[in-house]
Amino acid sequence: MIDTPGIVESNDELTTGYRLLTLRFDQDINARAGQFAMLKASDAYEPLLRRALAVYRAHGPRRLSFLYQVMGRGTEALSHLGGGGRVEALVPLGNSWPVDTLAPGERAVVVAGGIGSASVLMLCEQLARAGVDTHVLFGASSGRVAIGCGLEDFQALGLPLTVTTDDGSLGEKGFVTAPLERMLREERGARSVVYACGPWVMMRRVSEITSAFAARCLVSLEAPMGCGFGVCVGCVVAVNTREPLGYNSYRRVCIDGSIFPAEAVRWDVSAMPH
Amino acid sequence: MTFTTPGANERDERLAVEIAGVRFSNPVMGASGTFGYGLEFSELIDLNRIGGFSTKGLSARPLPGNPPPRIVETHGGMLNAIGLQNIGARAFVEEKLPALRKYDTRIIANVFGYSDEDYIEAIRILNDGNGIDAYELNISCPNVKEGGIVIGGSPSAAARLTEKARRATARPLIVKLSPNVTDIAEMARAIAGAGADSLSLINTLVGMSVDVNTRRPRLNFGTGGLSGPAIRPIAVRMVHEVAKAVDLPLIGIGGIASPMDALEFIIAGATAVQIGTANYYDPRVTEKVVAGLSEYCDRHAVESITSLVGSIIR
Repeated sequence: MIDTPGIVESNDELTTGYRLLTLRFDQDINARAGQFAMLKASDAYEPLLRRALAVYRAHGPRRLSFLYQVMGRGTEALSHLGGGGRVEALVPLGNSWPVDTLAPGERAVVVAGGIGSASVLMLCEQLARAGVDTHVLFGASSGRVAIGCGLEDFQALGLPLTVTTDDGSLGEKGFVTAPLERMLREERGARSVVYACGPWVMMRRVSEITSAFAARCLVSLEAPMGCGFGVCVGCVVAVNTREPLGYNSYRRVCIDGSIFPAEAVRWDVSAMPH
Repeated sequence: MTFTTPGANERDERLAVEIAGVRFSNPVMGASGTFGYGLEFSELIDLNRIGGFSTKGLSARPLPGNPPPRIVETHGGMLNAIGLQNIGARAFVEEKLPALRKYDTRIIANVFGYSDEDYIEAIRILNDGNGIDAYELNISCPNVKEGGIVIGGSPSAAARLTEKARRATARPLIVKLSPNVTDIAEMARAIAGAGADSLSLINTLVGMSVDVNTRRPRLNFGTGGLSGPAIRPIAVRMVHEVAKAVDLPLIGIGGIASPMDALEFIIAGATAVQIGTANYYDPRVTEKVVAGLSEYCDRHAVESITSLVGSIIR
């Protein structure tokens, strides 16, 4: 974890409301798949808090990209940054996707919902490099949003890919959880590890499906964060404990996660604003 | 990188202050609830370079805290309703203190309870820990339904607890005041009369934010404590009032994010300051404020920062 300025190399809009920010650092970052950064435009007084953005891609140790959706005041402020602009960054943060725990013969299924895609591109790159049998399920509300969520980057990986859109404008009409359930049902017996990042309701459904088919599942959670390194204790998620509401009922998404085993999460207590 | 060697030659003697017999190398500390157990910052700053810090509120037993969402950003600040999630006094003594003792910085244990007995029990546990320089009684947390602000809102209850805490320890006793009172000077006088060595102020102001789409409060707890630069003028005013009311060293807290902010509190009457919310969005802010105070001393030919304490002209 280092606190360092980053210089904006580009900050391009992919489709309305979705942007790709590329930053250059003067120190090595060494971000692993699934990690994130806390970012804020240097000259912006408001909003005060930095925003947690997943590392989308590492182009070497000193150049990182962040794919983000403009959703509120923080991402709005980031969207105004131009080339040469300065960003305050705390990076890299959080745990990472556990890829080396895949047993021989296990297959990976990566489920990306909406801008949750930002957290799994590096994971897909890593799985592809390791030669793991991997299938990507990519869901978005529409074809336009799918492009904003980096669909073309996922297609370029050459992994088997199923696209769903809520409105049917691209790929299969419906939620991304439908092909997941179909896959696990049809290929019962194949040992799958499911990696998911997307809206809370999507991950809750993914967790139900993987639990029903006894597939291992990991989810990357999001929560409003004050600090990103464990001290504010604001970004907690409720987890299953032997003693409900006892000490350890809540874990910090920033430092105990952002990646958790799906069965650890109490899906009845939402940690996410959406 | 982790810093472990105190940079003695980098210490600016002009910044040294003393509170209740405890010498701080400078008047800049991390505030309770925003500085974890200190060690979290060891990768980011040199802990030897700050005056000290106050721990996350410690209770006799570990506490789970409130259900999420616990924080929401507001203009110029944020609301929080963490609910004092903490590892407990015993775990602090056994798991955190040994590592913290390696640093040459002052450690203030912030103490919380749901009742007077809980506070005293937490103090007794912490009395076993070597390396704690002072206690800060948290009688001002607005995010729990018992203890905290319930005690901090009543001068007689606050004085009663202060007397009990005074009897429970020989260590310096700081009491952290709530701004959610009608007359903070009256509160300060009651606590000073009960044996406190120092007062720290202010804790957060009770606030609320509503999601107009769902018509629900944005925080699960309903209300939360407002912190950040938005509250700074209120905090400076309260420090000024309390400085006039009692003859105790004060620790100013409330929205400090720069050296000039810290100086406002010092000039208004605080001997030292604690930095809170700014640690979240500028994790090296404490070190930056220390450096800025030295520059101010250069610029204004200040030989000792203590000469500025309460030096307001009006």
